[in-house]
Amino acid sequence: MPIKSTEQRWGSVAKTFHWLMALGIIGTGSLGLYMTDLPRGMTKVNLFALHKSIGLTLLALVLLRLAWRMFDRRPRDEPMARWQRIAAHGAHGMLYVLMLAMPLSGWLYNSARGYALQWFKQFNVPALVAKNETLGDFAILAHVIGFWILAFVLLAHIGGALMHHLFDRDNTLLRMLPFGRLRKRPDGETT
Amino acid sequence: MRFRLLIAPLLGALVSAGASAASYTVSEGSTLGFSATFQGETFEGTFGKFEATIRYDPADLAAASFDVNIDLASVVTGDADRDASLPDPEFFDTSKFPRARFVTTGFRQSGTDVIADGTLTLKGMSKPVSLKVRFTANGSDATLDVTTTLQRLDFDVGSGEYADTKTIANEVKVKGHLKLKAQ
Repeated sequence: MPIKSTEQRWGSVAKTFHWLMALGIIGTGSLGLYMTDLPRGMTKVNLFALHKSIGLTLLALVLLRLAWRMFDRRPRDEPMARWQRIAAHGAHGMLYVLMLAMPLSGWLYNSARGYALQWFKQFNVPALVAKNETLGDFAILAHVIGFWILAFVLLAHIGGALMHHLFDRDNTLLRMLPFGRLRKRPDGETT
Repeated sequence: MRFRLLIAPLLGALVSAGASAASYTVSEGSTLGFSATFQGETFEGTFGKFEATIRYDPADLAAASFDVNIDLASVVTGDADRDASLPDPEFFDTSKFPRARFVTTGFRQSGTDVIADGTLTLKGMSKPVSLKVRFTANGSDATLDVTTTLQRLDFDVGSGEYADTKTIANEVKVKGHLKLKAQ
């Protein structure tokens, strides 16, 4: 599998970023939903710490991913209706914005509240701002609203990929799968 | 003449032996608190309610004494979850041990510092604790600053699942800033 993306499919670096971050986003997102209503205790403390650690990792990953994206090329769009193309690219753009906004609003919230932000108990990241109750309230509101927007856009993204795979029977999903073999395109072109 | 030379130092000695260290009460604006470390981040806690009886004279440490009584349930640390946890049995266990008390057993000079040795009773355990003392007279009133470092696990504060010192550091710095009013 080539490292860089080609005309037909995503390269191994882009695929690694995509699936690693997918795992992290779904993991830390589910954790976030679950942990807030837990009773006080060490389990809650540790799950919050894990949620923040994964979030910081995702922030580092999305920055590396954006840098790689500048350097890498993109496969050509699969043939599809214009509205689908616009919706797909719109969703991708929103996902990038949210992949930055979610960890950053979390970081801001912890800073404004004076909470510790530690990466897997190894080191603490510095506070972005001094303690500020109002800013903390704003940051957590943005984090929660961002989560629901992210959940919605992710559903559209996954639904779109599955729709292309199952109904249009094109390579949209296959070209991002780790070991997917591409289908013959209707115009006879092969990989 | 000879008599007066003799008697004057004697009288002086009598007066100082009879003198006791000044007694003070703690007035408004005094603070007693600690700083502890949670997940590598320091946070401050303060006790809203405490009483102290202070007798102190820098020139007569032998007559000095501190007796400090702290209402543990009055603790605030700036976080609702943490404040709600501290009275729990794993931390201060305030329903069984509502108060902590520090009573001095003696004072000593250590270099330029004055050290107050005493006994801290916290969560049913009594252990020796030494405070560094800084006393500043201000007319008949004074300010008293004390600091010390405790190991929370010596007093079983944060027991069970909270004993992990990687999450909650063992070391807790205690500091008091007392505004003393002459009694």
